[in-house]
Amino acid sequence: MTNSPFWKRFRKDRLALLSAFLIAGLLIVALFGEALSPYPFDLQDTQNALAAPGDLHWMGTDELGRDLFSRLIYGTRISMAISLLTAFSALILGTLYGAVSGYVGGRVDNWMMRAVDVIYAIPDLLLIILITVLIGRGVLGVFLALSLAGWITVARLIRGEVLRLKEYDYVEAARAFGASHRRILLKHILPNTLGILIVTLTFRIPSAILAESTLSFIGLGLTPPAASWGTLANEGWKALKFYPHLILFPSLAIFITMLAFNFLGDGLRDALDPGARGRG
Amino acid sequence: MKKTILVALLLLGFLVFAIGKEKAKAPPAEATFRMHLASEPPTLDWSLATDNVSIRVIENLMAGLAEYDKDLRPKPAIAEHWDVSPDGRRYLFYLREDVYWTDGVPLKAQDFEYAWKRLLNPETAAEYAYFLFDIVNAAEYNAGEMRDPAQVGVKALDDHLLQVDLKKQAVYFPAITTFTATFPQREDLIKAYGERWTAVEHFVTLGPFRLEEWRHEYRLTLRANEHYYEGRPPLDRLIFYVVSEETTALTLYETGDLDRVTLPPIAIPQYRGRSDYRHAPFLRGYYYGFNVAKPPFDDVRLRQAFSLAVDRTELPRILKGGEIPATSWVPEGMFAHNPKIGLGFDPDRARRLLTEAGYPEGTGLPEITLSFNTDPTNRLIAENIQAQWKRNLGVSVQLDNMEWKVYLRQLKEDTPQIFRLGWGADYPDPDNFLNLFTGASGNNNTHWGNARYDQLIADAASEADAARRIVLYDEAQQILTEQDVPIIPLFFAAQNLLISPAVKGLEINAMDLLYLKKVRKAPL
Repeated sequence: MTNSPFWKRFRKDRLALLSAFLIAGLLIVALFGEALSPYPFDLQDTQNALAAPGDLHWMGTDELGRDLFSRLIYGTRISMAISLLTAFSALILGTLYGAVSGYVGGRVDNWMMRAVDVIYAIPDLLLIILITVLIGRGVLGVFLALSLAGWITVARLIRGEVLRLKEYDYVEAARAFGASHRRILLKHILPNTLGILIVTLTFRIPSAILAESTLSFIGLGLTPPAASWGTLANEGWKALKFYPHLILFPSLAIFITMLAFNFLGDGLRDALDPGARGRG
Repeated sequence: MKKTILVALLLLGFLVFAIGKEKAKAPPAEATFRMHLASEPPTLDWSLATDNVSIRVIENLMAGLAEYDKDLRPKPAIAEHWDVSPDGRRYLFYLREDVYWTDGVPLKAQDFEYAWKRLLNPETAAEYAYFLFDIVNAAEYNAGEMRDPAQVGVKALDDHLLQVDLKKQAVYFPAITTFTATFPQREDLIKAYGERWTAVEHFVTLGPFRLEEWRHEYRLTLRANEHYYEGRPPLDRLIFYVVSEETTALTLYETGDLDRVTLPPIAIPQYRGRSDYRHAPFLRGYYYGFNVAKPPFDDVRLRQAFSLAVDRTELPRILKGGEIPATSWVPEGMFAHNPKIGLGFDPDRARRLLTEAGYPEGTGLPEITLSFNTDPTNRLIAENIQAQWKRNLGVSVQLDNMEWKVYLRQLKEDTPQIFRLGWGADYPDPDNFLNLFTGASGNNNTHWGNARYDQLIADAASEADAARRIVLYDEAQQILTEQDVPIIPLFFAAQNLLISPAVKGLEINAMDLLYLKKVRKAPL
């Protein structure tokens, strides 16, 4: 594996490599956050409200005296969990839908894609807001809303791939040998879309983080005391003028994570499909 | 490239020219006072208005029989003077003869009689109806037990003489006539336009300002009333901007777009030393109410446990504005205030009561939701109390917030398990605070009623001896905050304001009454 052309190409992309390490670090923080954070995330020390970053509180405290560093670590878990879960579920939903549509083709394909077009015509944020209003706030609402809004682009992408792959000779050969549709789809076509899927995933995750933050920022996301990077940023911007640390650190976390995932996605795409380089 | 720059410069030139022209055409400078409202006023009908946003606008559009002087004592306004019978039960209000509505119609005593009977009419469903229950037959008429409004003890003897008969002496009665709900109304207009009578095109008032424009969710513009009976006010215009975020309002103040702003907690320490900063006490209590009609809070032990589990001293530390932690309900600075009454912080007793109620460590409790109207400060308080209940009782409470209008409707129609409300003094007498929770009060959202409590409040209202009155109020407060606990008093508010140095003559009083008719400001 270490000598595969993919790995060779990927290793050369320093930025992507760095991003991969950073993301791995974030995942560790998300998994073992409790051990790392100096205080419980919802502990209110009102004597020390709005403390500036210092020895006791590395990133300062918020209006209720909660340690921002601990809250950011807790927020990492929520933000990462929501974005990973929604990215995966959007991926699975979209792949199934796109694969069936592309493979069956004809009239079915036509109808399925028109349905996608209709949903696609609704702006993402509007769709997400509508779903959260219907389901209600909280982790479940955010998760469902983001998953249901996210699968559409994946479905289109996969359908295109499947349309292309199903005309290949090896698929023709499998069909000639009498392989079932299911076997052809699962064993011969989908594995060849894996590269695209991985790249899509790395791009879906940051947009899911951003969408969750946006939702939480406009007040449709998590309910207190739960906190994600988005809710932290929401609490922070009101204090922008007097206590900039409250908005600075959550925004930095969102910013760096978004960049890392995007660089990783770029690196993976280039490594998996060198031909795509420059095609943008 | 050079050509592009030339074109750009030309365009810029035109723009400057155009703006310059626009400026030249602008109307003459006007003295405009601008401030913000936390939300859109739910109504401008003063029989129905119950919230401080609506009342803030109405108090500058209208006038009543009396108004407050700067020491919050009632003094004559539309009523030139009034006579009280020796037994304190009959009031005769002599009205000024030079008061005109903005459509030129002279004000008559009949307009008061109509407005008061409309307030009491059960069909109006006014929450403030109970304000007039001291009047003969008022409560009976409001309850539908007596259908003939002519029997109600308010009567216009002629166009400028209003007679009011009380059931028994009420020491604070003149103060009640300063309140918006008792302002006069025009029967002909309300009959003609129905609910639309407060629409800008139909709205007729008689105060220092009149409504000129209402752009919903954006701003209300009030213009000086040239025919106001005390003379046209010095200000030409008032503009109330609807700004729900306090920090946004603060930015607008800093950029010179507002003349008065209430400071959000986060900003108070930063502004405390500045010359435009004003701090004043405030006759306003902040409380959490229970819906005692629905389980689980129909159990008094649970209510007591929730009250005992709150350490009120944390709140001023968060709010930073000099708030006073409260366990009793009559605010500091008011007659009969007694800080010794109420359930103080006692987590052990709270947990014992929780166990006695059948929910040891909170197990077995249904999901509990604390509701509040959307506002950053309300949320801050809710998050703190949520954490305190979690820490001291082990109970997890959900938070839910709603927009002001929706929230007020929800309180009436489907009262949440725990809700937040504030109560600002309508008149500076403990009756105003304690009457609020009587069975007859339309502003009592707790569904709680206690005959002994109601009796105490009624007795105290007609008690002329101050010492005996205090004894009555002390017992009432004990029932309210220790024995039955339909509410958890949290704190008494304070006013933390910034007022532009350009504004002259703006008096700050403990009732946050904003009489803008005497305010001056250089034209803009």
